[in-house]
Amino acid sequence: MSPRVAVPVYPGTNSEDETLRAIHAVGLEGTLVHWSAGASGLRGFDAYVLPGGFAYEDRVRAGAVAAHDPMTDAIVEAAEAGKFVLGICNGAQILLETGLVPGTGAIRRPTAAFAPNGPSGRFRCVHVHVKLQVPTSRSPLFAGLGEGAVIPMWAAHGEGRLAATDAELARLDADGLVAFRYSDRRGATSDAAVPNASALGCAGLINARGNVLAIMPHAERDAWTYMHRDGAARAEARGASAAMLAPSGGIALFRSLALALGVRA
Amino acid sequence: MMRVYDVALTIPDNEAYTALTALRRMGVDVARVERGDVFVADVALGDAEALDATFRTLETLFNPNKHRLAIREAAGPLPGEVWIAPLRDPEPPTAGVIVAGRRLPGTRALLRRTVWRLFDAHDRFVSGETLDAAVAGLLCNPAFQLALRP
Repeated sequence: MSPRVAVPVYPGTNSEDETLRAIHAVGLEGTLVHWSAGASGLRGFDAYVLPGGFAYEDRVRAGAVAAHDPMTDAIVEAAEAGKFVLGICNGAQILLETGLVPGTGAIRRPTAAFAPNGPSGRFRCVHVHVKLQVPTSRSPLFAGLGEGAVIPMWAAHGEGRLAATDAELARLDADGLVAFRYSDRRGATSDAAVPNASALGCAGLINARGNVLAIMPHAERDAWTYMHRDGAARAEARGASAAMLAPSGGIALFRSLALALGVRA
Repeated sequence: MMRVYDVALTIPDNEAYTALTALRRMGVDVARVERGDVFVADVALGDAEALDATFRTLETLFNPNKHRLAIREAAGPLPGEVWIAPLRDPEPPTAGVIVAGRRLPGTRALLRRTVWRLFDAHDRFVSGETLDAAVAGLLCNPAFQLALRP
């Protein structure tokens, strides 16, 4: 039987179907769980992927109200039990608001945030690449990625700038909690590659235990060849529908999750 | 000089209601929540009245069909209030402040804060301890926000 992965759907979540599709594509059994199911409806899964969107319309602050949703209690329990939890975009914002990531403070006492984008504060939708900054041995979630893997994704958010005190940022950097940084397609990191003035050029954070990953750009929106902005990949597949519809690019993140759960490609 | 515009909804505020629900779920003893925006303008002395007049016509900030506007003397929170501000305000624009395509007369900076007022079952401001719990648990993320109290 395939490992069971829950995709929690809060009021305002909007990326659950693409996320579920990517989960199925890598051999996992995915299930949408709506907020009305409460914490009990979310217990018993092998892993959790929090999708993007605008949970609770980002009221108060992106991810803040969802972090207090009863359903989130089950995610906190699962993370503390060592299960894998992946948050994408709004899912990442929720994980930071719960304090599960970076995990340097108490639960629901955040020590970092994905704050309004700099410098304009405006929503941005832009194609990006992210580079793995830590050794793949750092977490089973990275075991399916190559060292320094560069993954294409779409960034689409108004609040994706990592913010924390200077001391906390230094700690995140020193302790290997910055899992992904924005880069160019060859993996070169620079300020120019960062779409939102995120501190440390950070695109994704992981907790010390290595089982909870929060990443802002959407891997699931660049996970099939026809989705790629890079025209070369699409040109190669032109005229071959199977190749055009094949998973590639951002699917690597989901493949690595599947591998962590014992599913071999 | 500083000019302070307090903008509050006159129609039901879904965000305040969501905050109320979340706070109650957290165990914070609160019966009613009000939320609004406060705009703090740094305006040249002779331009304050012109800015008042302009502000009243900027529907992206103040829409008379759903907001009330009060002009305050003090550029800080009143008793019972908490203002949520960014830890670091953006640099003021060098060429003056433009909102919705309109230049604000004599204005060097316009800062936005969210103001929260929490009330108990007797419609009095909640205690300082209750407000502290609400701020720490929900209203302010200290990683990038500051809670300003009187």
